[in-house]
Amino acid sequence: MSPTSPEAQHLVSLSGVTKTVHVGLRRRPVTILRGVDLAVEHGDVFGLIGPNGAGKTTTVKVLLGLMAPSGGSVDLRLRGLGAVGYLPENPYFYDYLSGREFLSFCARLFGLGAGERKARADRLLRDVGLEAAADVHLRKYSKGMLQRIGIAQALINDPHLVLLDEPMTGLDPIGRLEVKRIIQRLHDEGRTVLFNSHILADVEELCTRIAVMKGGRIVWGGTVAEALTDSPEGLEAFFMRVVGDERPGVSGDERARVPGGEPDEVAGDGQPEVAAGETPS
Amino acid sequence: MNQVAAIALNTFRETIRDRVLTVIVLFALVMIVAGLWLGSISLEQQGRMMKDFGLVAVTVFGVIVAAFIAATLVRKEVEKRTVFVLFSKPVSRAAFVVGKFLGLAATLAAVVGGMGLFLFVLTLLVGGGASGMVLVATALIYLQVLTVVAVVVFFSTVTSAILASMLGLGVFVAGQLSHNVLSLSRVGAGAITEAVSWVVFVVIPNFNAVDVKAAAVGEMTVDWGSVALWAGYLVAYMAVALAAASFVMRRKEF
Amino acid sequence: MRRPLALLAIAACVTAVVAYQVTRPARAESDPRVFVPSAQFFEDFSPSFRTSIADAYYLYMVQYYGEHVETDQRLDSMADLVDLVTRLSPRFTKAYQFGTFALLDADEGARAYAILQRGVEANPEDWGLPALAGFLVYGFGEGAEKERIAAEWYARAAAIEGSPIYLDRLAATLTAKGGEEEKAALMWAQVYADGDKYSREKAVAALDGLLPEGKEERMRAVAPLAETMPEAMFEELLAALFEDYL
Repeated sequence: MSPTSPEAQHLVSLSGVTKTVHVGLRRRPVTILRGVDLAVEHGDVFGLIGPNGAGKTTTVKVLLGLMAPSGGSVDLRLRGLGAVGYLPENPYFYDYLSGREFLSFCARLFGLGAGERKARADRLLRDVGLEAAADVHLRKYSKGMLQRIGIAQALINDPHLVLLDEPMTGLDPIGRLEVKRIIQRLHDEGRTVLFNSHILADVEELCTRIAVMKGGRIVWGGTVAEALTDSPEGLEAFFMRVVGDERPGVSGDERARVPGGEPDEVAGDGQPEVAAGETPS
Repeated sequence: MNQVAAIALNTFRETIRDRVLTVIVLFALVMIVAGLWLGSISLEQQGRMMKDFGLVAVTVFGVIVAAFIAATLVRKEVEKRTVFVLFSKPVSRAAFVVGKFLGLAATLAAVVGGMGLFLFVLTLLVGGGASGMVLVATALIYLQVLTVVAVVVFFSTVTSAILASMLGLGVFVAGQLSHNVLSLSRVGAGAITEAVSWVVFVVIPNFNAVDVKAAAVGEMTVDWGSVALWAGYLVAYMAVALAAASFVMRRKEF
Repeated sequence: MRRPLALLAIAACVTAVVAYQVTRPARAESDPRVFVPSAQFFEDFSPSFRTSIADAYYLYMVQYYGEHVETDQRLDSMADLVDLVTRLSPRFTKAYQFGTFALLDADEGARAYAILQRGVEANPEDWGLPALAGFLVYGFGEGAEKERIAAEWYARAAAIEGSPIYLDRLAATLTAKGGEEEKAALMWAQVYADGDKYSREKAVAALDGLLPEGKEERMRAVAPLAETMPEAMFEELLAALFEDYL
């Protein structure tokens, strides 16, 4: 039950990372991360799980430099962002571009030459099963197709580390299956994958290691096997136990029917509740 | 450099495919042709009316396109979160700002240049002394329009899109009056007034200095040396605005 | 059911608008006095657009003239309009030309003359404006000096490159009318030297009238004209002026 400790061979390590943002006119401080310690090893498929507002997306953004940490240190043992691929949550891409144009654009951001750009775009379009839609504008893509083109752009630089923020959210079962296959293949190719999810079944199936976030901290880290040893009834039960039922007397099933949306990442006082609808069923 | 080129090309694609742009350009062309009708009641002054009103149309529509499209350039990427794709790759904030600017600059070159060329050909067809000065004036209008773009890009990094557009238009109008501000700095209304006026004069781009519209109707003799210097000044002005925008972007978190 | 009703309502509105446009009373008589801002105002506030503003006011001026000259004959603001347009666009020669004639209709010859003088200064290469000034002074001016002054304008116009030869003849004619016969003779000699066959005939006829009758006096008066042309040409002129010269 101890947070993952950074070691020498780690590809990514965060230690004591804090993040406070200031919101509104009165610049009210809201703490999102309260000292995150995290280490990802080479070849891991690392699952970052936790309730909404736990700070998962913020952790990834700090890792990428999209946000600067307020405290602590971030160590990315790679040659900068050139070896990292990233799929944002609910990705939106340039809808006036075709899939092929978009991938070529992304390749160009890495300084690849024209021949290489075309070769990689073609290969990735095939890998994510979008060959037929390669020349269709992204505005005509379905959510699943967007997620797949998003993964393709995250792989355009042949990265060592792939960060996927909620890659399965909002996808139909077939879409989820396709994305899972892609993650599996990335693992087989020896890449390191870190992904956020609250779909625990997928995490259980794909991940080698997991970390559970709650209230801006990592509250548990270890291998999936360790977690299952802890809770033989499954990852879901383990998760509920680690995160804790913050509303006693309300069963998971009933909570799932509580109306209301998911709270914002930065909303509240940084101690977000387990929101309705996010409890895995 | 490659990143800047990629972003510029992408921005060019984005803006040139914008339907709003097509509508505005068509409207501008209609306005230029309307110069023909105005010319018909001008007692044989078609050529002059066309050139004069045509260049005004090029300026006004160029500035409108600049102000409104530039304001959304950066904001749209932030709001639609496409910046995540860019900044998770080795793309600096400065490369982003400059790339966006150059992309719209290319689109505006097509738009403003196209309108200028259309006007030139029309004066050639109508007669009344087609003058290459129409093209020179168009090029200098383009420079003013680009300055507005740079200013709006900067404002759009610190405020909302609509406010950035308005401020950009405001700067364009103020740029027409900047010499008045300078004279205000000389009236001797007190040291503070003078100092403030002088600062305002320096901060606001001086657009009159590079405007040679009047030369297209034979109304001025152009001091090319001075125009070249002032054009250089506007280029430096844009560089400063874009540097400021990059600085703001660097401090932004997404 | 709702759709036909909506269409009906739209049709009714369109009909009403068109009906009003067609039947509304003719536009009220427009006021001949209009507000004309000072040129300085535009110079200060939009120097880059001053010629465009001049053009807009020029079109307005043409309309204003047309509207009032055919109805109430009142052109109260004409002079201000011409002044504004020509100050904003000093090289807009058409505006001076149109303005001059419009101001004559407005009975404001003096304003027209003042504006025209500005035009001549601003357009030194244009012969039309000084010629127009000459026409204005001779045709509508008053006083004993008007021929002389008109002649000076024509002479000034004639001296500009590209000006037609008739300006020299007009200048010479008016100089003679103004009483400066010696100067007129020199001008006619210049016309003879520069002109075509028609101009030469005119010059000979004019000199014949200007020069004294008596042979001796005429000979003395003709001598200075030799300066204005080559010797062979002068010989020809003498032959034309003295019946028994050969």
